[in-house]
Amino acid sequence: MKKWLYNPVMVSELKIKMRGWRTAAAVTVYLGIMLLISYLFFNLTFDNTYGYGNTFDVNNSIGLQIYTTLAILQFALIVLITPAQTAGSISGEREKQTLDLLLCTKMSPTGIVMGKLISSMSFIFLLIISSIPIFSLALLFGGVTPGDIVVLFAFYMITAFAIGSIGMFCSVLFKKTVTSTVISYLTIFVLGILTAIIGATMLQSYYYNSSSVSGMTLDSYTPFVFYLNPVTGLADILARQSGSGGNLGVAGVLSMMFGMGYYGTSNPNTGGMINGWSWSQWSLWIRNAVIMLSAAGTLLTISAWKIKPVRRGFRKKHLANISK
Amino acid sequence: MLVIKDLVKRYGKFTAVDQVNLKIESGSIFGFVGPNGAGKTTTIKIIATLMQPTSGTVEVEGMDVVREPLKVRERIGYMPDFFGVYDNLKVHEYMDFYGSSYGMPYKERQKAAGELLELVDLGHKKDSYVDTLSRGMKQRLCLARSLIHNPELLVLDEPASGLDPRARIEIKGILKELKGMNKTILISSHILSELAEMCDTIGIIENGKMVIDGSVEDIMRRISGRTIIRLKFMDRLEEAINLLKEQPLVEEIIQEGNSLEVTYSGEDQDLWKLLRILVNQELPILSFGKADGNLEQIFMEVTKGEEMAL
Repeated sequence: MKKWLYNPVMVSELKIKMRGWRTAAAVTVYLGIMLLISYLFFNLTFDNTYGYGNTFDVNNSIGLQIYTTLAILQFALIVLITPAQTAGSISGEREKQTLDLLLCTKMSPTGIVMGKLISSMSFIFLLIISSIPIFSLALLFGGVTPGDIVVLFAFYMITAFAIGSIGMFCSVLFKKTVTSTVISYLTIFVLGILTAIIGATMLQSYYYNSSSVSGMTLDSYTPFVFYLNPVTGLADILARQSGSGGNLGVAGVLSMMFGMGYYGTSNPNTGGMINGWSWSQWSLWIRNAVIMLSAAGTLLTISAWKIKPVRRGFRKKHLANISK
Repeated sequence: MLVIKDLVKRYGKFTAVDQVNLKIESGSIFGFVGPNGAGKTTTIKIIATLMQPTSGTVEVEGMDVVREPLKVRERIGYMPDFFGVYDNLKVHEYMDFYGSSYGMPYKERQKAAGELLELVDLGHKKDSYVDTLSRGMKQRLCLARSLIHNPELLVLDEPASGLDPRARIEIKGILKELKGMNKTILISSHILSELAEMCDTIGIIENGKMVIDGSVEDIMRRISGRTIIRLKFMDRLEEAINLLKEQPLVEEIIQEGNSLEVTYSGEDQDLWKLLRILVNQELPILSFGKADGNLEQIFMEVTKGEEMAL
């Protein structure tokens, strides 16, 4: 393995994680849940769609419906599982009293944090990848392309990475894994709900104001807080893939997901995902992904800085204060 | 070589380490003694680049622990007072993991791990899981781990704590072997007698202050200004006692069977003169030597009655 790719923490963690029956059992249970739900859904939809002699419609096909259900289900499972995977990574080392041993080796704090994160995320990636055959069921019925699944899975990984870095940050901040896990879940859910509520309120006031001013269009407005919420990106991807990007739009899918009224804004980028180099020319999920990745990068940088035991800059400043 | 100058570590108003100065020569074993909470672990963590000093400097082989922590880490082997275990990791994988963390190439770390496991007598356990080892074995494995990158300085924080007598003796044996390999070793303990026999020099720390440091013998003399000599005679004890009483530097004589314990206030150069006087009288001396000193007594005198396990 190339030297710069070789991260001892990651290699060792992967070895530990994949040993024994736990990981295999977890993947089995995960896929079992996914299969069970898609089976139930299939049965239900089949009865509703074909049971009464309805005609077949691609945009309302079983394939698309199973796909959308699986997509939302897998998203929810990722949001639920990821914090538990990373929230104990550094605090767990502290509890096992191995963090000091790691820190006094030649490994950099960034290397330690990234090794821990990647090995924790590897489990999530394994779950995501192992769900591909189930998603392929949707392909059997049509209405979804393999490209759609690639885009969705890329977004899953980015979401998992962002949520994982919140867990990592908490595991650096809090000494105990229990505290870190609870705080990670709280942060993620409060962040999710708050951004949804604030965003929806902003959208509503925008809608209210713009409808009172004549000549103002209703599209191309996305409250910034929505970029911090991966539900935005998921809604964009699903709306785009279900072909309703033009008429229902992201706000429509979002409002359906959050159970709020439909505000009638539409997605400005109903065309390609990247239509140019400027921010507004990127599709919503890409903007969402960029913001989430930047936030994750910031959290990981702070995490690495926090576990660094000796900081030169600090000492110089400290000594200067003493000498005054 | 380890040089500590005016080291201070404060936590808010509490001073954990207060103006500690210390120099440990290459290839020697230094015993760091003090009651629990005296500042031993704090000092050791600063040496191991795991803690920021408030002021003062620590240099390992001429490199500052704050300015050049990476270079110091290459030269230092640190063994903390606890043992961190990864579940589901085998002994040789554990060694390999730390070897790779020090950036050692595969072949080199495999070779070093094999040799070190033999050194600490764990060669036969290399395929066992780390968490199944006994406490003594874990401690030895931890010692082997701290040596994986062939450091010049070894810093061991309470390596014998919680070990049964056999395991302690084994650890001591390994340390002697390491000394033979010209490693500089700093070893801490709250049990003074545990250290005295294997250390070249000791330092006693209390409330963050280094109360005294030097060789055990040196410290004894500095505290009391006296040396204790043990003599053993075949017979003619009365005669020997009378002769010793006439010597101006002899302060006290205690008789135990054929042996005498003499408290002597002179320097080393006076000591051989005393032996000559005894030999000139043709007294049948079987042995004549300085006693190791009563370590408990040293400690109590130095630390002003702070409670301590001996």
